[in-house]
Amino acid sequence: MSIAPDFLLALLAMGLASFACRAGGFFLMRFVTVTPRLEAALRILPLGVMIGIVAPVAALGKIPELIGLGLVLLLMKVTGNDFLAALSGIVAVAIIRQLL
Amino acid sequence: MVRKKNPVTTAEILIAPPFTRRGIRHGFLRAQPLAWSVLLYGMMFGVLASSAALSALESLLMSALVYSGSAQMAALQGWSGAPQILPIVVTILIMNARYVLYGAALRPWLGGLDAPRAYLSLFLLGDGNWALAMKEREAGDDDAGFLLGSGLVMFIGWTVGTLIGHLLGSLVARPELFGVDFLLTAFSAALMMGMFRGRRDLWPAIGTIFIAVVAAQFLGSGWVIVLSGLAAAIIGYVAHVDRA
Repeated sequence: MSIAPDFLLALLAMGLASFACRAGGFFLMRFVTVTPRLEAALRILPLGVMIGIVAPVAALGKIPELIGLGLVLLLMKVTGNDFLAALSGIVAVAIIRQLL
Repeated sequence: MVRKKNPVTTAEILIAPPFTRRGIRHGFLRAQPLAWSVLLYGMMFGVLASSAALSALESLLMSALVYSGSAQMAALQGWSGAPQILPIVVTILIMNARYVLYGAALRPWLGGLDAPRAYLSLFLLGDGNWALAMKEREAGDDDAGFLLGSGLVMFIGWTVGTLIGHLLGSLVARPELFGVDFLLTAFSAALMMGMFRGRRDLWPAIGTIFIAVVAAQFLGSGWVIVLSGLAAAIIGYVAHVDRA
């Protein structure tokens, strides 16, 4: 167990940046009136974030990832259990990578 | 004679939501499955951190202070002996920019809380418990303790997972063989399915997929995520139809 001084400095800066993101949007919205239209935008936003993570990976067109993603979506549709679906996808990717 | 001033001057007239022990407990229990997946994810980070030569204490502190898997993993990319602060801070701001949007969406709910409760809940905010809490509130339970309780259990999972992963780190030589790098993608795909509300989300989703794929040709993943979130919000904003 050890910690370097310049690492600690970097860590504090990192923590501050991270909290600024978490608290910033909430704080700034204090000065904004949330109209129904704005609320509709805020509601669909998380879906966009998820797409922004998944779509680029899918677009790379690698076989293990495509099969893994397909499995996640299928299991999610069938079971509705996100933990089970995601874990199965990860296991599938790991297995296929070992085989290829 | 002193003229009475009207204290309410801004648009902010929010009623304090309930914030009870029961709500905290409820959130803590509801987020259990998420906590396990976060534990696993934390283990993955612990493994990566140990392979980047971070000590157990350094890894644990990073997980507790930054508390963001994608940002921490991105910060570890190209990590060398003496970390360069500016690029790392910029990386974290980019990877966590989505939290600005999450926090904005929480304003109508948490706005009536006192600052310590609101900002502690925000400190513990994660992707999973945010999505879960938004769903819970939409279902009619507006006890804001839910967010704190679910955040707390995820925070515990993340930090404990980091430690376990770091201890196991030396045992896992090539983490990509175990699909570690696919973790965020897999969970995002599952949550994406859960968030999709059918037809009204169809066109925003298709538009966002297009933007995400094109943007990924030119930009790093942090920017792609932020752009995609904004794209969906803008399309949703423009396409919104007020139902009278």
